[in-house]
Amino acid sequence: MAEQSVACAAGRAADGDRSARARAVILLLCLALALSGFLSLTAGASDASAVRVIRDWFTGAMPSDGALAARDRLIVYDIRMPRVLLGVLIGAALAVSGAVMQGLFRNPLADPGLIGISAGSSLGAVAVIVLGGTWLAPAILAFGTFALPLMAFFGGLAVTWLLYAIATRQGRTSVATMLLAGIAISALAMALTGILIFMADDRQLRDLTFWQLGSLAGATWQKVGTVGPVIVLALSAMPFLSRGLNALALGEATAGHLGIPVQRQKYIAIVGVSAAVGASVAVSGGIGFVGIVVPHVLRLAIGPDNRYLLPASALLGASMLLLADAVARTIVAPAELPIGIVTAIAGAPFFLWILLRKRGVIDL
Amino acid sequence: MIEARDISVAIGGKRIVSHVDFSARPGEVSVIVGPNGSGKTTLLKALTGELAYTGTVTLDGRDLSAMKPVEAATLRAVLPQSTALSFPFTVREIVRLGLIGGRSGVLPGEDQRLPERALARVDLDGFAGRFYQALSGGEQQRVQLARVLCQVWAPVLEGRPRYLVLDEPVSSLDVKHQLIIMNIARDFARRGGGVVAILHDLNLTAMYADRIFVLRRGELAAAGSPADVLNDELIEKVFDCRLKVGALPAANMPFVLPQSAA
Repeated sequence: MAEQSVACAAGRAADGDRSARARAVILLLCLALALSGFLSLTAGASDASAVRVIRDWFTGAMPSDGALAARDRLIVYDIRMPRVLLGVLIGAALAVSGAVMQGLFRNPLADPGLIGISAGSSLGAVAVIVLGGTWLAPAILAFGTFALPLMAFFGGLAVTWLLYAIATRQGRTSVATMLLAGIAISALAMALTGILIFMADDRQLRDLTFWQLGSLAGATWQKVGTVGPVIVLALSAMPFLSRGLNALALGEATAGHLGIPVQRQKYIAIVGVSAAVGASVAVSGGIGFVGIVVPHVLRLAIGPDNRYLLPASALLGASMLLLADAVARTIVAPAELPIGIVTAIAGAPFFLWILLRKRGVIDL
Repeated sequence: MIEARDISVAIGGKRIVSHVDFSARPGEVSVIVGPNGSGKTTLLKALTGELAYTGTVTLDGRDLSAMKPVEAATLRAVLPQSTALSFPFTVREIVRLGLIGGRSGVLPGEDQRLPERALARVDLDGFAGRFYQALSGGEQQRVQLARVLCQVWAPVLEGRPRYLVLDEPVSSLDVKHQLIIMNIARDFARRGGGVVAILHDLNLTAMYADRIFVLRRGELAAAGSPADVLNDELIEKVFDCRLKVGALPAANMPFVLPQSAA
């Protein structure tokens, strides 16, 4: 029935109004997220049954095998559930950040990775891994396990602030300058990261290589509680940008003439994205491709209207990351593949296929 | 009234517009003419607050630099010379962007039908479902005009006149559509709004302008009615080519025949 309504909405879109189709797609994506969330709760190296745990919780039934039930509860509540929540938060954060950056830079290839936010976060994290025993020992002492996510977060924020300062003249931020400066700062941050890698010993090398590949492993309720509020706050500001981002497609000057407070919207977008991405990279490392593929696929399906694109990106980004994580956890069980590998292996060919299929029909 | 006093604009240390006075009154079509590089677009961008300027610009008696974007957007809509679009929007989605400010001036319920009506006015009936990027240059220009019309659909809102600011609105249009667009502009002025337009075609200017501002090397060379401004001596000097200004006996409307360059 849902498919029927999509097809029907697509028929109506002939008059150029794609909002009905967009709403239908968003509804489908809600279902998809619920489904992937459930799948993610049940999938894993252990045979713990989420269904049984949840059913017991609802009915208040005492299972016959108490020890087994306690183990399953532990696995489902304390290992899988925070992991699912973290996946939802980070998937949504990366996809929405990508969509917002693309709207802001008026470029479908823009991505938080492109302007150096991710590179800055990486530098902060790698610094903690490599220098944690020496120069940064006081930070480790003060913040314990929070030192790494904190440094990653501030690394991303520092890059964003630097970019903003470089690109802003007389109260106006030049988006083109920011993009170019971002590429330069990104290169610089990667070079500094390279120096740290050069200094690292074998154990540190392994740690940071895995960190850079990205993973949701090690998700805890504590991590959810730390990054959750940051990401939720940043993402909840984004819908207020959607009309402004639509107007920006016509250029900054025209957006201003339409009554959009362009400078304020840029400021909110930049701060929101760096907070969301900084928090994501801090707990999960470098997960690529979500920020580019998700908004792009959705633009093909429902059009570039950000009022629908942003919420749809959040839903699809979350679902995609949950599925990728489920694959990462099960495909080489009991070991785990870094999730960044899964998103790239699945995302890149899919992306290429879409480009080939749509070649010549419409521009990026 | 859009009023500018002693406007100067420098870009990258070079002065593009110097000490220009300008005013556009409601009920009139005010046209800016001048050769390439004479500062027409720069002046227009100062008038809309897009470029930093010295001097003062007032919109409806209020200082433009003190107005919020949304306040200025209620009083005037701006058509840029060209618009590069970054994402595949449909024509309807583009035109609908004119309604962002929500002050088109029609009843709230009728807002949704406005894109269709605006498209019909610019002779683009049935184009709503097309992709903007697949249209020809002239069609794109008219889509943008439809968007601008949606923004200030009612020429007068709550007793205040509103303005259309058009940078070369007919530059890539065929003759028929040039006339259609200029008729829309004149109609907007007749119904109490004001129009500021940059034009290159002196005959079109003579037909539609109530007041002409002639720019030459960033300075105001002349301002006044078409009959006052369009004469052999001034136009030859400003445009640096030989031409002949005549007059149609009936309407006493000047027309300009180019003779040869320089």
